[in-house]
Amino acid sequence: MDNLLHLWHNTGLYQMTPGQGIMIIIGMLLLYLAINKNFEPLLLVPIGFGGVLANIPGAGLAEYGGILHIFYTVGIESGAFPLIIFMGVGAMTDFGPLLANPKTLFLGAAAQFGIFATLMGAVLLSTFGVFDFSLADAAAIGIIGGADGPTSIYVASKLAPDLLGAIAVASYSYMALVPLIQPPIMRALTTQNERKIKMVQQRHVSQREKIVFPLLLLLLVAFLLPDAAPLLGMFCFGNLMKECAVVDRLSNTTQNSLINTVTIFLGLAVGSKLSADKFLDFTTLGILLLGMVAFSIGTASGVMMAKLLNKVGGGGINPLIGSAGVSAVPMAARVSNKLGLEADPHNFLLMHAMGPNVAGVIGSAVAAGIMINYVTN
Amino acid sequence: MEASSLLNEGLTLMLFGMGFVFIFLTLLVFVTSLMSRVVTLYEKSVGVLPKGGVPSPTAVIPHHAPANTLPTGAKNHDENTLAILSAAIRAYRDRHK
Repeated sequence: MDNLLHLWHNTGLYQMTPGQGIMIIIGMLLLYLAINKNFEPLLLVPIGFGGVLANIPGAGLAEYGGILHIFYTVGIESGAFPLIIFMGVGAMTDFGPLLANPKTLFLGAAAQFGIFATLMGAVLLSTFGVFDFSLADAAAIGIIGGADGPTSIYVASKLAPDLLGAIAVASYSYMALVPLIQPPIMRALTTQNERKIKMVQQRHVSQREKIVFPLLLLLLVAFLLPDAAPLLGMFCFGNLMKECAVVDRLSNTTQNSLINTVTIFLGLAVGSKLSADKFLDFTTLGILLLGMVAFSIGTASGVMMAKLLNKVGGGGINPLIGSAGVSAVPMAARVSNKLGLEADPHNFLLMHAMGPNVAGVIGSAVAAGIMINYVTN
Repeated sequence: MEASSLLNEGLTLMLFGMGFVFIFLTLLVFVTSLMSRVVTLYEKSVGVLPKGGVPSPTAVIPHHAPANTLPTGAKNHDENTLAILSAAIRAYRDRHK
């Protein structure tokens, strides 16, 4: 009888707390969204599954010594995984459209306003006592507005490791929701005529320019903002490997097998942060809400900046490409393209929107560097 | 007191951060435009890089051979014409992908 009782005490059913039960259901929900609704499946499948694993009662996979905890310590606490992913993203990025029209960098800059506005929002909410966010927490939440998964995870791991689970889930879910969140904002801020603006064919960008650009960017970062050097350094390195065309083998590995391998472990490690005591909290709701606000403001300020550039710079820029200034490569650019086609079936904006899109990646990495610099000293 | 200092810090970070993002990217716009201009000028006199990245021995782009001095040997002439033609074809294909 004693043995039976012992066995019963060791079952998951006996040990499970309500919180763990709810978290397992949330993990399953993430899996459902990824598999059935195709929401960023590459990340939500490992994150969701990691979340389920982390909440298995008694197994302690996410506690000290557990395998998920090891993945977390090795890859995220050290900052390694997001940086390796960033290298892969660099190797997949084509700076051609940006080089053809460098003015689009302004759109990428403007869209970062979402990050800082949300930071302010989080600070205000703490001031009024609704939430209890420190400046570091607020900064990590704001970066969701950069719509860049690896950057968010990197900043959160440096500034607010406790909120990492919620921040990662928020930023990847919103990236999947780009086609739903952005269009209403874009339509509200532009007129039909503005959406019909046709952009001139981009000039040809030579390979030499594409090779020099990452080096130039790296030097600028090195001189002005060394705190952004980990993110942008890896990004530039990946991009140089691709563009220089003499290390195709390295570039292919970075773009495919390496980034895939790291994504698996990154997802599982983020999932390990979905434990009941950290995630089932009022603040998670606040983070999800603020993340959405960050994203919307970023989209709006990108569009407004494009309109301003049109006024000042003599026109020729379709404001729809402004929204692509929030990173979310290449989803945001596709949304711009789709809305452009809606207004005029012959208006192809995809290549033009890729400029602000990659500018947004640079912009949010710069913003991340500033936040880390400011908060940690 | 503490709440207002948090508010102040937040405001400072917002202004400072947004300002810096703009300064950085504005600089990048200038530097990039300058770089493009320099590279374009340079390539006018030297020619574009071959697709493979390194100039391979079969596709030599003549570095010396200014346009006004006619090449002496017929063989040399052929090589030049070939290089110019293939560069033109490459440029055309690049542009009409």
